[in-house]
Amino acid sequence: MIKQRWETRPLEIWDRAKELRAKWQKSIDNRQHLLAQGNTVESDWSPGFEKYLKIVEDNPVGAFMASKSHSFARRARLASEVRGWGRELCGYVNNCWGAQFLGRDMDGGPFPYRDMCVPFPDVCDQHLKRGQQCMDLSPIPRWGGDMPIYPGERDPKRDEEMIEHRVYCNLKIIADIERIFGIEFDDERFVENIKLREKLSAYGLRISQLMTQVPTPLSAKDLYSFYTLGDLTKLNPEEINDFWKSFVDEVQWRADNRIAAVGGERYRYMEAHPPAWYYLKYYRYLESYGAVCIGSQYSHIMSGTLEVKEDGSLAHRDVTPPADKPIRTREDAVRQWITEARGNRFKDDEYCRKWAITDFARGFKADGAIMALWRCGVGCTLTRKEQALRLSEMGLRVLHCEGSQPGDRTDMDEHGFLDRIDAWMESQGLEKLDDR
Amino acid sequence: MNKLQDILEHRHEYARDWKKRTGGRILGFYDVYFPEEVAYAAGVLPVRILAKHSEDFLTDRLMYGNCYCTRDMLNQFARGDYDYADGIVSVESCQWHYNAFDTTLIEKPELWSHYVFTPDYTDARTSKNVMRSELDLFRRKLGEWTGKEPGDEDLDRAIDVYNRNRQLLRRLYELRKFDGTPISGSEAMDTVLACQVMDKAEANELLEELLEETESRPPREDCVRLMLIGSETYDAALERIVESLGANVVIDDLDNGTGYIMRDVTPQRDRLMAIGMRYLLKPHSALKDNVWRRRPQRIWEFIEDWQADGVIIAKQIYCHPHGSDMYMVWNLLRERNVAFHTFERDTTLPYEETALGIEALINIIKPGMTRLRGQEV
Repeated sequence: MIKQRWETRPLEIWDRAKELRAKWQKSIDNRQHLLAQGNTVESDWSPGFEKYLKIVEDNPVGAFMASKSHSFARRARLASEVRGWGRELCGYVNNCWGAQFLGRDMDGGPFPYRDMCVPFPDVCDQHLKRGQQCMDLSPIPRWGGDMPIYPGERDPKRDEEMIEHRVYCNLKIIADIERIFGIEFDDERFVENIKLREKLSAYGLRISQLMTQVPTPLSAKDLYSFYTLGDLTKLNPEEINDFWKSFVDEVQWRADNRIAAVGGERYRYMEAHPPAWYYLKYYRYLESYGAVCIGSQYSHIMSGTLEVKEDGSLAHRDVTPPADKPIRTREDAVRQWITEARGNRFKDDEYCRKWAITDFARGFKADGAIMALWRCGVGCTLTRKEQALRLSEMGLRVLHCEGSQPGDRTDMDEHGFLDRIDAWMESQGLEKLDDR
Repeated sequence: MNKLQDILEHRHEYARDWKKRTGGRILGFYDVYFPEEVAYAAGVLPVRILAKHSEDFLTDRLMYGNCYCTRDMLNQFARGDYDYADGIVSVESCQWHYNAFDTTLIEKPELWSHYVFTPDYTDARTSKNVMRSELDLFRRKLGEWTGKEPGDEDLDRAIDVYNRNRQLLRRLYELRKFDGTPISGSEAMDTVLACQVMDKAEANELLEELLEETESRPPREDCVRLMLIGSETYDAALERIVESLGANVVIDDLDNGTGYIMRDVTPQRDRLMAIGMRYLLKPHSALKDNVWRRRPQRIWEFIEDWQADGVIIAKQIYCHPHGSDMYMVWNLLRERNVAFHTFERDTTLPYEETALGIEALINIIKPGMTRLRGQEV
């Protein structure tokens, strides 16, 4: 068998992505803005304060620390643990807030203390408490919010009060920030961002659709370099729009010309939730078997909620369209943005749309799955065993790996993981391409 | 052992017997944020699903990283311990609880089920509207299930029974405020837990008897008074270890303790709003105490009012809300020079290991205690 089945080449847009990421990091390091701890995905109003405020989650900060400096991440987690935080809590949280207690960042610079805490509602219990350490450290202004959920079919009647609740909470936060910090909210910018979100979701969907092709023009490892841009790492909307447009163009070109992410692609596997950020090497290792990761519901989050339609195509889940009326007030804009009570992708896919994981496997033509079991992350591990059983039932070979959490290297047996990968691949009749 | 303790120990037999006696339906619930009053008003008996460890061949296949309690809850359903439950209900609260609920329905799809969204952000102007709307839906669903939608009179009756229960349990807690408390921590915890698994009207009668009897008991020998903080508990095993070391748990900040008995439903014309407000304003769990921090003040008030000499923080391993709250709790206790001991609980409580840490705490406290002067240290 030939090792190289498809033509491959590096992405040209890679340098632009690095520049954007560096720009985001610099804006935090230089304290050009007020800093808020909160959920960036649930704070789509924040570009309205673009000139003054930046929302920074403890992720990707925590994941970045785990990936770049194991020793600093360990020191940070220890600083957090000795102050009472559980040792079995999310590594992102303990890395980021441990650094807060150390008073410095990974590069030795001062820690970017938060000026306020905007809601980080309950994607998982750990998310809900994610703002707690900076709130408990100093009496910064803080707000709350909810991500309602209920199992079963969506019920528009039931959603009404939940939507009102979400609208109220967001309007209150904007008004309070203006009042407390004396900064002006740019409503037009906010409306532009709502429109940008729709575009980004369409770009994301196109990328996801192209990745269903064999060979995939992009692997999950590639995707991880881009998927947070405009979302977790919010930047100037025009710049982000240009970037994603170019990105889609390049991936489309690669797909049209059968340029593969992995030249030896012959086996496609999927994942669930974040990978071990400190040990992404396993992706390369699997490539030596001709195995390519086509991502997970988590890594394709930029596409919104996906499902396989009756004709077999991958598309967005049908959602309630925003009311077709002009945006005249800030409230109109918030209502344009919040059209559903139960919009959270993670919770919906895990509790309410249990078939979403098998849809994903079918849509991306997955042959197998690596389902990481992160014992220190509620949201990172909840329902994972059930999902693995569903995938097994549809014929996918599932490999589990265990560890503390994607941002905590403590309990990950890296060599053991590679051994299990060997056994998993060989049990499916695959040998390393190099060995042939 | 008082009668309520006996019912707690034989809670499944009690529930089966209740069903036989009344012909009513039984609804298992996972979390103390479940508005029991609404179910009770519909003639349904809400029974708290309490973890109890037993041989487990199932949960590892379906769960990973869960606290032992939720594993045991699933396991008990699989074993048939809750074969008398006609349905289960969950609320927005601890996600492990939700997972146990969700996974149990995979194993037992025949169970009737419902989910009540109780806002995690309880303080917004709109939180109460969401809560009310959820209670209204729950009332309607119960009506469809039982054939009788509870009306205002039914709700009034349920509110009265539940308020009475909380008042009686608070009276029991009041008895623990002073030296020579006539009731031990384990007996008090057993009693509160028993009330969560039985008909409250019957529990109230037994509580009246117990209070009368307890109030006439001679005072217990004075000893080190401890407070218990942490994850929910499902038995009084820890309190018993404390007592075996010559100390007593006199107050707690536990969801299933003070979190269950504090704050009544304040009656108002809109009964559902009244019930909803009770659950939005009750002493919050670590999970829902996430914006306006009320736990520190509450914990301090408990320490002062119940004259606790020290604190045990027992966190269930993998209990994320409590793991995230300990920084605040430790800060509070250190600022106020309160001795404390923190440990992680797991499936069972090994006596020697658990006792060793608590004994060390007691030995730190005792030498400085003037009211115990003369006693052997």
